[in-house]
Amino acid sequence: MSTSTEMSNSLSGNAGNGLKTAAGEYLTFVLGSEQYGIEILKVQEIRGYDAVTQIANMPSFIKGVINLRGKIVPIVDLRIKFNLGKVEYNEFTVVIILNLNGRIVGIVVDGVSDVRELREEHLREVPSLVTRIDTKYIVGLATIEQEMLILVDIDKLMTSDEMQLMEAAVH
Amino acid sequence: MTVDMSQFYEVFFDEAEELLAEAEHLLLGIDVESPDVEQLNAIFRAAHSIKGGAATFGFMDMTEITHVLENLLDKIRKNEMALTTEHVDAFLAAKDVIKMQVDGHRHGSDVNAEQVSDVAMMLKSLSEGKAAVVAAPVEAAASVEAAPAAAPAAEVAKPALTITDEEKAKGMTLYDVGLPTVTEKDLANLKDELALLGEVAVYQRSENVHAVLVKTDSSADDIVSICSFIVDADALVIQVAGDTTSAPAPAAVETAPVAAPVEAAPAPAADAGYGFFDNDPIIKTDAKADDGKVQVAEEMGYGLFASNGQDQQEEGYGFFAPFKPHPDAPKAQMIGDDNAAAAMAKAKAEAAATPVAAAPQEERRQQQGRRETDKPAAAAQSAESTSIRVGIEKVDQLINLVGELVITQAMIEQRVNALDPVDNEALINSVGQLTRNTRDLQESVMSIRMMPMDFVFSRFPRMVRDLAGKLGKKVEFVTSGATTELDKSLIERIVDPLTHLVRNSVDHGIEKPEVRREMGKPESGTLTLSAAHKGGSIVIEVTDDGGGLNRDKILAKAASNGLPVNESMTDNEVFSLIFAPGFSTAEVVTDVSGRGVGMDVVKRNITSMGGHIEIRSALGYGTTISISLPLTLAILDGMSVSLGKSIYVVPLNLIVETLQPRAEDLKTVTGEGLMVHVRGEYLPIIALHALFNHPTEITTPTDGVLLILEADGKKSALFVDRLVGQQQVVIKSLETNFKRIPGVSGATIMGDGSVALILDVPAIIQMGQTTNYVTGGMAFSNQNYLTSQNTINA
Repeated sequence: MSTSTEMSNSLSGNAGNGLKTAAGEYLTFVLGSEQYGIEILKVQEIRGYDAVTQIANMPSFIKGVINLRGKIVPIVDLRIKFNLGKVEYNEFTVVIILNLNGRIVGIVVDGVSDVRELREEHLREVPSLVTRIDTKYIVGLATIEQEMLILVDIDKLMTSDEMQLMEAAVH
Repeated sequence: MTVDMSQFYEVFFDEAEELLAEAEHLLLGIDVESPDVEQLNAIFRAAHSIKGGAATFGFMDMTEITHVLENLLDKIRKNEMALTTEHVDAFLAAKDVIKMQVDGHRHGSDVNAEQVSDVAMMLKSLSEGKAAVVAAPVEAAASVEAAPAAAPAAEVAKPALTITDEEKAKGMTLYDVGLPTVTEKDLANLKDELALLGEVAVYQRSENVHAVLVKTDSSADDIVSICSFIVDADALVIQVAGDTTSAPAPAAVETAPVAAPVEAAPAPAADAGYGFFDNDPIIKTDAKADDGKVQVAEEMGYGLFASNGQDQQEEGYGFFAPFKPHPDAPKAQMIGDDNAAAAMAKAKAEAAATPVAAAPQEERRQQQGRRETDKPAAAAQSAESTSIRVGIEKVDQLINLVGELVITQAMIEQRVNALDPVDNEALINSVGQLTRNTRDLQESVMSIRMMPMDFVFSRFPRMVRDLAGKLGKKVEFVTSGATTELDKSLIERIVDPLTHLVRNSVDHGIEKPEVRREMGKPESGTLTLSAAHKGGSIVIEVTDDGGGLNRDKILAKAASNGLPVNESMTDNEVFSLIFAPGFSTAEVVTDVSGRGVGMDVVKRNITSMGGHIEIRSALGYGTTISISLPLTLAILDGMSVSLGKSIYVVPLNLIVETLQPRAEDLKTVTGEGLMVHVRGEYLPIIALHALFNHPTEITTPTDGVLLILEADGKKSALFVDRLVGQQQVVIKSLETNFKRIPGVSGATIMGDGSVALILDVPAIIQMGQTTNYVTGGMAFSNQNYLTSQNTINA
């Protein structure tokens, strides 16, 4: 039922360059017309969208929980959360399973594009502007082959109060 | 008290044996030159545990010896004394003696009182830093000489204060309090403080080392608590002077001369010796003890001991055979080669004087051997340990794996049920078999973690007795349902809350005898501790027939504490106030309870275990505190129900009944709150689809099913679409990767691999109604009742 792809973890060095992020390998995915990137070390696997059990009285972007080989894992639809892209669930809907310090969470995105290795020269500061994703969760921008990649601190985003995935007021 | 403690003895014996074996192992491996502190600590802990256990079960003889052992070990581990081989030998001797005592209690075998007191004395003299008697030369004569040397050691405490039997009878005790090095001023202070307890005399043991004799009716603990203001309580060495511990000492010394003639005399004298010993019941044990040696050694012994019976000799052989490989065995053999009588006499002299050392070690083994041969072979076998200790993580892993297996099995079963039963008969039968086996396996695995409530209850009789004595109350302690089993992790966590409740009952609940008499109750109060299974939970109750809770007093206290209260609260609510932090209506704060810390902790502990606590009380008649706990935290008997396309699991133990209501049974209150009339009760209906905002086709109770749920003494009817089936589910936490969801206690994985949520029934009942619901239903308020009425009424 699921087409899961275990990602190999082969991150290169973390040379700091003043930016909040560091060079390394990023998984890029599409939300609406934008390309986003997350640190590949945070990604556990990629699978299809299947058999999600709804949970009562949750915000619409929390789709529910799935059984991931015996573990109960919540699924968040980032398309709904950030109001991007078309929300439909079919055999092409992709769930990225993240492992954030032992907590496993799945995110639904429009599609997964690639794994990119970003070097320091690719990285740019985030300009201050109003985006749907609060700039505090964006660690930087990167340009590769004329395309802009928005690098997200997925750890910070998923554990934030606004995602409502954690018990409130733990921070 | 009528509690049969003997059923718990086995546990203690097993534990004691394990601890002794462990201690021996450590002792044998210890490096005397540079002992490992951890090892010393481990030995100390073993001694301490045995002492604690022995005290709990009232084996005072064991407590005494472990106490002196512990004292000495404590000094060594605190580096107040260097470890020597003498110490190690003495510890091993003590271990043997304790083992002998354990056997004595366990199988009713003989305990050599002299040997015990000798070892105790030796430990004591060692801990006082005396030249040890221990270096026990193998030569009998030398040890005979050594024995009298022990006598002065025992008399070191030149008492400036004595205690008469008459005083003892009045409950007075003479304590010998050994002090660490203190200044003159502290010493004077200490003396003044202790004088509050009774008569005091200070004497000097050696330079800079003082001791105080205290004659008092208070306990040793009281002395410690007073002294702890001035000196380090850990450094105190409190002994009961002029009491049993030192009493046997002279006996041991007397024995020595008795043994001496035996040693002196050759073979013929041995006969005489035996004749002599036979008249002396105490020493007789020793004489018998030597049987073993003689039997092993040479046939000649048989003649002497024919009176012991032929059977015994044969059994003796059977028993001793395995001992031969023991390193000591060759020695025994060697002795056997010598003149038997001489060997015998020598052994006797050693046994009598027993300043234990290398040689007596083996001799004691044989003594044990003899004792065991006295019993039927079955008894000897029961001495073998019948339990194994396994790390808890291994058990948990096993339980998890079985949980997964159950899920997989359910999946297979579901798939198979979709097959044609005729074509696949064999397969279906096999799967049926698999189902049964899986269930059995699961039950067995779950039972590994189950322990009887004895483990908790057995602690209390003594505590209650001591507490009652301290408070001048008469309490009869009764337990029931001690065999009820509960998950080990819960057992461990229930101890503290229960201890607190029992203390409370004795302190606040049960009145003093005179008060009880005035009220026309029997002078001695009854405290009952009971455990019973009730559905999927275990209910533990602490009941006393004391004064009961005073509603008005609690309300007044709560009001003065600023808690939101009013007169119209139900008793149940009022009584629950005592679980508020800092709440105590006790007029006098005693050292037992009344400080107002505790009940809130009790409640918190119980809640964290997934349990509930409830109070029932009648003023003047008593109080019952009832704790209900889940049997285990891992698996749940559930009823799956459907709601729209989803499946939810309801804990089966909370379902009273299920029914499909008729239209005429549905009533409304003030036109909105919907109720169902079930057997004279009006129960509020909680529509799950409305509560969970869940789309479903079925919105009228008459089309669906009502589950009558009961939790926390409140009943409600939960309205769902359909019943799906009953099954055991493995509880998975939602919080591991997600968070707590109101109304949901966890999740589980169904046979088809999908996730189903387990309903948190108490929370749902709570969510369905905010104000307290009194059975009978009329007080039901639907403040929080959700927006489903319109759809239901439509």
